[in-house]
Formats: sequence, structure tokens, C-alpha cells
Amino acid sequence: MKELIEYIATSLVDDPTQVFVSQRRQGATVNIRLEVSKEDMGRVIGRGGKVAAAMRSLLRVAAANDHKRANLQIVEPE
Amino acid sequence: MTESRATLEMIAPTVDEAIDKALEELGLTDDEVEVEVLDEGSKGMLGIGARQARVRLTVKDSQPAPRSAAQAQTPADMDNTMSIASHTVTELLDRMGIRAEVSCRVGAADEEGQTPIIVDIQGNDLSILIGKRAETLNALQYVTRLIVGKEVGGGVNLIVDVEGYRERRERGLRELAQRMAQQALKTGHSQTLEPMPPGERRIIHLELQNMEGVRTESTGEEPKRKVVIIPDEGEQ
Repeated sequence: MKELIEYIATSLVDDPTQVFVSQRRQGATVNIRLEVSKEDMGRVIGRGGKVAAAMRSLLRVAAANDHKRANLQIVEPE
Repeated sequence: MTESRATLEMIAPTVDEAIDKALEELGLTDDEVEVEVLDEGSKGMLGIGARQARVRLTVKDSQPAPRSAAQAQTPADMDNTMSIASHTVTELLDRMGIRAEVSCRVGAADEEGQTPIIVDIQGNDLSILIGKRAETLNALQYVTRLIVGKEVGGGVNLIVDVEGYRERRERGLRELAQRMAQQALKTGHSQTLEPMPPGERRIIHLELQNMEGVRTESTGEEPKRKVVIIPDEGEQ
């Protein structure tokens, strides 16, 4: 699941070296955290959140295949 | 060098739709243009005084000229884009844990003479890839367009299909449009269809645009926007 988000994010951003994805399991739920550089936030969120919504749609399929549910959180570097 | 910058104005019921339509026409993504909202539009009261939204898109300086028209695409470009497209879809499906076969072809030209690249996905029981009202398939198509567009440096006219779903759906929608138009003509009452995504509404509008006695409109907000078929005579 993490690999899916990693692939999409690194393909879309200008600075792939600043893409960090981590994954934590909590029972049947998998929490995925995506961090990209401040400048690239717009690319992974999109106008009106369209890119983020699309990533979540695809992630849902990946998780369902694994009989799990997934959450995607997108964060800026601290 | 002259300062000729490509601009496009678009009118649609909402600002978002106007931007989407304009981007589609230019074949660019939203970070390649500057958007100016000329009129946010208003819904009016009970449809009275409703005003459409109006936006102006200006292609950013560093961008190549819009390449929406197939003219800019040489066969070599097309081959390159096709191989990137099928590669991208294969990588995405692989990471989604879906086993399927991906192939790529050039589709038939649309009304504007543009030929889309069609990525076909074939496999067993891929309904999970389509999703409710094709939500998942559209997400896959959107992400693929973005990735391929970034790679080739411009917008791409690309359709992702699963087991011929879009073709079947289009045929079904055309039939539905005809049936509901006949109903509108017969009864003199407007016929409201179920909510549909923009691409599907477009099929209905196009199917009925030259039909005598009815006109079509879209009402409501995304994602619940629907087409209404309105007879020229009779109550609205």
C-alpha cells in the first residue's frame, strides 16, 4: 500500500528526494503518512483536493485486496 | 518575440467546471496555466437570475504551446506517450495488487478530430477497478494522466478503460438519452436523469444536441450533478 502512494507521489512532485512515506498498522486499518516538500504539497493535493481524493480511491482498492482499510494523511515537513 | 500568450475564456455553471472544461480544451494541467475568475456566477432564486461562472485561463510563459490538437503529436511522440502510459498503468496496478493485462492503442477521433490514447485493462473480475459510478476507474485515469503528462511535459488526451466498460457505458447512455428524450416529447414533462460525472453528462448532451423538440441542461452540484431533458413545449 505504501508502495502505491510512494510511486504516485514521487512521479508527481518536482523533488522526489523529499518524498517520505510511512505505514502503520492498527488492527484492520493501515495508516499511511505521506510527507512531501512544502513546494510540492499542491501537486499531491490538487485543486479542490482532487489528486488526494484520487490517491485515496486507489488506495482503497489496494487495501481491500488485502482485506484492510487504509487512511492517507498528507503532511508538510516540520 | 511578440508577447502573444494563449488565453481561453470558458463559461460553465460553476467555477470548477469552467476550469475543468478549459483545461480539457487546452490539454494542459492546472499548474501550467494561470486562472482568473471573471465571474463566480450565481445560482439565482429558483433558477431565476442564475448566472454562469466565467473564467479566463492564460498559459504560463515557460510552457510550450497548447498541444491539445492532435497536430502537435508526431507519430514518434504518440508512440513514446503510449509506452509511458501503459508502463504507468502497469506500475499502478502492480502496486494496487491487481493482476491484469495492459494494452494501449490509439482511439477513434472525437468531434474535434482529436485522437485519444486508450489504455485497456483486461483481467478477471475487475469490477473492483471500476467502482461505484466509475469512481475508481476515473481516479486511475486522472492519476495516469497526471503522471504521463508530467513525463511528456504537457497535457495528454488519455482514456483508461477496464474490459470495455467505457464503451458499453457510452452505448447504454446514448440509448438512455434517446429513451428519455422520447419520454419528454410524449409527456411534455422534463426528464431528470441520475447523477453522472462530467464525461457521462457530455455524452448525453452530445447525443441530444441535434434532436428536434428537446434541449438539455445540467443542474445541481458535483458530484450530484444531473442532466435534465426539457421539451420545447409543455411545462418545464
